[in-house]
Amino acid sequence: MIWFTILGMSIITFFNRFIFLAKGVKYKVGERQKRFLGFSGLAVLTAIWTPIVFQVSYAEHVQISAGTDYLLAACVAGALSLSNVSSLYVVVLSTSLFFVLRSFVLPI
Amino acid sequence: MNHRNLPTVCEGALAILPLSLAVIPWGILTGALAIQAGLSNVQAQCLSLLVFAGAAQLSGIGMIAGGISVHSIFGSTMVISARHLLYSMVFRSHVESLKLPMRAGIAFVLTDEMFVVSEAHTKAKGAFSSTFALSSGITFYLIWNIATFAGIIAGSYFSDLESLGLDFAIVATFIAMSFDQIKSKPEVVTVLVAGVSSVVLKPLFSESYILIATIIGMVTGYSLLMFIDSKSKVST
Repeated sequence: MIWFTILGMSIITFFNRFIFLAKGVKYKVGERQKRFLGFSGLAVLTAIWTPIVFQVSYAEHVQISAGTDYLLAACVAGALSLSNVSSLYVVVLSTSLFFVLRSFVLPI
Repeated sequence: MNHRNLPTVCEGALAILPLSLAVIPWGILTGALAIQAGLSNVQAQCLSLLVFAGAAQLSGIGMIAGGISVHSIFGSTMVISARHLLYSMVFRSHVESLKLPMRAGIAFVLTDEMFVVSEAHTKAKGAFSSTFALSSGITFYLIWNIATFAGIIAGSYFSDLESLGLDFAIVATFIAMSFDQIKSKPEVVTVLVAGVSSVVLKPLFSESYILIATIIGMVTGYSLLMFIDSKSKVST
């Protein structure tokens, strides 16, 4: 059953990547559509990471919570990226900060 | 591929290297969690070799561990990897002259990271390079799979990797990748709207919130871009 799941997932991801690259698909993308799709990477990456940092709960009252470790490290990552620090340093520095916060600072 | 392409091959591999190194912890986590979810070593590696999509793999592993039905797993894989449809659409105009094996090869290694570096290269050079796209994609594929392998080994030794905080690496990676693209107001608005929508919608649409938030963010950013464009045309 796990093999069937892996195979099915492979077919789905390849289909999504290949469909518009196939010769038979004649659909053309216009200039306006390209500008629209230009926002896709930015929007999807943001939509993936934000719920890891911030959590909303609708039980009884609406509550927003964020772990201090996640929030601080994410702010540092954001500030570093905006100051044109290269991606690798951003990841290494902010993830190290996260490790330190989680392992040594916050439990005290 | 002949040796005249060699500089472009190296350029592609080098361009994606920082992003590849950045996903190593994530690859390790994916391999290790797959083992803990009950997959065999070969199955865990095949997930990275064949599916090759971090977010889809992690959600799939979580659902296999939770004993969730196969068609729900396929449904969420479809939604999570739907953003590749958008990348595929953008690449479509680039690959018109290419033969099937090259198209299929590019499609197979088409990831968030490869799309970002390839589009940056296309913008800088004024033309798409299939050699660059393929070499950056394959580099990323190899590193992802080596990291998964390391995770499979680690997964057999350690029992609670998530508590070490490896899950923050994906946040840092995605912030680094996306904030690079912020050049003007429409991009700032896209980040704010997509981010807030995703957080607010997650409890309501547990399987499709990423796609919904992405589309809301894109529509808002694009609308603002069109609005700014039309205003600048009126004033000139």
